[in-house]
Amino acid sequence: MVALLTLLSALPALAQEAAKDPAYRAFPLIGSRLAVWAVAQLHLNFAAFILGVPIFAVIIEIIGWRTRDAQYDWLSHELVKLTFAAFSTTALLGALLLFLFIGYYPKFWTYMTSIFFPTYGVYAGLFFAETFTVYIWYYGWDWLSGSRKWIHVSLGVLSNLFGTAILLVANSWVTFMMSPAGIDDSGALKGSVWAAINNFTWMPINIHRLIANIVFGGTICAAYAAFRFLGAKTDEERARYDWMGYIGNFVALSAFIVLPFAGYYLGREIYAFNQTMGITMMGGFMSWLWIIQAILIGVLFMGSNYYLWLGMERIPGSERYRRYVPMLIGILAFGFMVWATPRSMVITLDEARAMGGTHHPLLGFLGVMSAKNTAVNMMILTTFLSFILYRRANKVSTRPWVGMGMAIQWAALGVAAAIVIFFGVYGYFVESLVRIGFSVYQVLAVLGAIFVVMAIDIPMFKGARSTGAIRWGTIAPRSQYVLILLAVTFTWLMGLMGFARSGIRQHWHVYGVMRDNSVDAVTPAIGYAANMITVVTIAFFLLVLFIFWLGGLGEKGKAEAHGHAAPVIAGGSDASAGGPRGGRSPRLP
Amino acid sequence: MKVGAFALVVMGSYTYYANSIPQIQSKPPAELSLEGGNVTTAQLVKAGEEIFHTKGTCEICHRIGQKGTRAPDLAGIGSRAAKTKPGMSAKQYIIESLLQPGAYLVEGYPNIMPQVDKPPIALNRSEVWALTAFLESLGGTAEVKLDDIPKTAGASAAGGAPAEIKLPGDPKAGEVVFSTKAACIACHKAGKIGASPVGPDLSQIAKIQTPDYIMKKILDPAGSGTVAGFPKGVMPPMFGQTLTAKEYMDLVSFLLTLK
Repeated sequence: MVALLTLLSALPALAQEAAKDPAYRAFPLIGSRLAVWAVAQLHLNFAAFILGVPIFAVIIEIIGWRTRDAQYDWLSHELVKLTFAAFSTTALLGALLLFLFIGYYPKFWTYMTSIFFPTYGVYAGLFFAETFTVYIWYYGWDWLSGSRKWIHVSLGVLSNLFGTAILLVANSWVTFMMSPAGIDDSGALKGSVWAAINNFTWMPINIHRLIANIVFGGTICAAYAAFRFLGAKTDEERARYDWMGYIGNFVALSAFIVLPFAGYYLGREIYAFNQTMGITMMGGFMSWLWIIQAILIGVLFMGSNYYLWLGMERIPGSERYRRYVPMLIGILAFGFMVWATPRSMVITLDEARAMGGTHHPLLGFLGVMSAKNTAVNMMILTTFLSFILYRRANKVSTRPWVGMGMAIQWAALGVAAAIVIFFGVYGYFVESLVRIGFSVYQVLAVLGAIFVVMAIDIPMFKGARSTGAIRWGTIAPRSQYVLILLAVTFTWLMGLMGFARSGIRQHWHVYGVMRDNSVDAVTPAIGYAANMITVVTIAFFLLVLFIFWLGGLGEKGKAEAHGHAAPVIAGGSDASAGGPRGGRSPRLP
Repeated sequence: MKVGAFALVVMGSYTYYANSIPQIQSKPPAELSLEGGNVTTAQLVKAGEEIFHTKGTCEICHRIGQKGTRAPDLAGIGSRAAKTKPGMSAKQYIIESLLQPGAYLVEGYPNIMPQVDKPPIALNRSEVWALTAFLESLGGTAEVKLDDIPKTAGASAAGGAPAEIKLPGDPKAGEVVFSTKAACIACHKAGKIGASPVGPDLSQIAKIQTPDYIMKKILDPAGSGTVAGFPKGVMPPMFGQTLTAKEYMDLVSFLLTLK
């Protein structure tokens, strides 16, 4: 922390010195690019985790505070503990990244400083504020309990606001490199730094990263819970971590279903900034990258749904919904295939001749945006349906209007699906400008259906008759591997998207303004990038394991003394007994 | 151990797949300088073909012998170009298309082509010359000379300063015209002023459009095309009659400050 602040205070002098330096220096053995790549990806992984987890940790704390359910308070504390352990590693990696830029890309850093110097002080101030707030939030858990709980919750909210502000500042630097604004033709800042901050891709990246951070935090927490579940010695422990895994996955899934919309917004702004950049991204040398992305997202959708279906097995009464699962699998699988179908890509003349053009004569029709928008909206609807079935698995509504309510819910889902498919097909018969507008109707139909179904579902199942408590801890162990699959896949996907975001600048440090004249100016092919992403992802998980282990060492034997004894979750008993024993069943979303 | 092995298998499969598909790098373009040197037509055409496939990034949208959805097929452009725009030879048309792509649009295609001598493509004058020769050779004869390429072409390549345009207008007075007499503010946002979403946001218009386009658009809105996603025929066509010459220059000067 001190090192970081000292470094920030010395930046102007360093920047001036850098002007006299060579444009580039070579990092020993692996080269400067790989060094920056590895540290930047690791830093972003940790930063995403420590920014994403507190968002839902504070929401869970508020639920626990308002419902007086200690289990939520325990979970929130557990989540902040994980964040806290990763906090200093994130800061160290950030400082290391800064050293690398100043040392190995001095001219580039001088240029960035000439534009963004006023933001450095803001960033440092926010970092200070966030650090202190998180410290008080974590260490003041017991001190600020009872009648002072509102102060504690406010600290959690405040730390999230500071964290989000840090994200916005850092995003302005990275988005300026993609879509520079507020500068004249020589690259100098024209007026206020605000114009450089508020560039074309700043707000879309802010939104996309904020949502993605929540998904990422959820998947990592769920994976942590899975890891603890698989190593659990008692039924109580298994029940606790089964519940924690479910909550982590629930949070990740809730945020994940809106992530594709944020992605489309970002893509649209990239095209608005520069058509060439957009076309290079989607149809140029990066075209294959999106096929891999589609596969990863398909895995995430399938995995999330599979986890919910496996989870239903531990809920008495869920048997009646099993018959829907094959239909859900069918829709997801078809959507997956459509999303993974390329429209056009860089191919050789021979390949084009063999295929009869750059587009496949039959499958090419599934590669356009009409088909892909339809597929993703149907996958989101399907995932939502899986969640609804899970939610009501052990509930039988006692409301007299249940028949009407169900009919309206099915009608809402059916109408939404019909609207999505209608505009998907109609999109083939209209101009592209009209077609782009159709995606808005499709999204609104899906969001509208989700709203209508939930608005009916909540009162319909309030006070419902239970067919039995959830047998927490009795879920099949393979479900925990699904949670690990989701965390690994999402982390890998983040690395891939980082490569895409950075790679579309091609041989420019700052697109169209400052060329990359280093020996690493070649943008590597997808295989090389994948190798690098995998190595860094492995390093990330090893570091996470180490940090969690260290955090666990400090907590051993202290939990109960601090009043954070792990709660007993209903169902944490002998699985063969088939029923709950001990503890209350938590009120779940 | 089992969890670690599982995670490695998952990442390994993604990595294997990524390595098994076509591997395409994006190499930084090399600078070509032919000025002052002796170069044969064949060498020039070959250099132009290389630029077409690499630094020019033409292939992203254009194909040769295949109709594209984003841009016209360039097969036979060397002969076809002479008949495309009345009064222009094939050479003149091709040069204009490269340096001022919006000046003439082939029917059915959007106005999306960037100026090839400006960043990020940033071809220099020699490269524009070679590329023109290559395009002429597609169905015609390469006869372009270096002197046919304007001396200003490529002046701002690679981030260098472009030829500066000085207009005898007052941007501050133009801002007043924008908000009052011309009432552009009714439909357009321009930096800190205006908020209407009826027409495109002009906050960065000088960055994404040329002065020529801006000047023409004010006088002939319908003839300059409509930005994607906005309704056609909404912008009034009578500014040439209602604004004085000074007001017109002031307005253009103001718009050119919006970057």
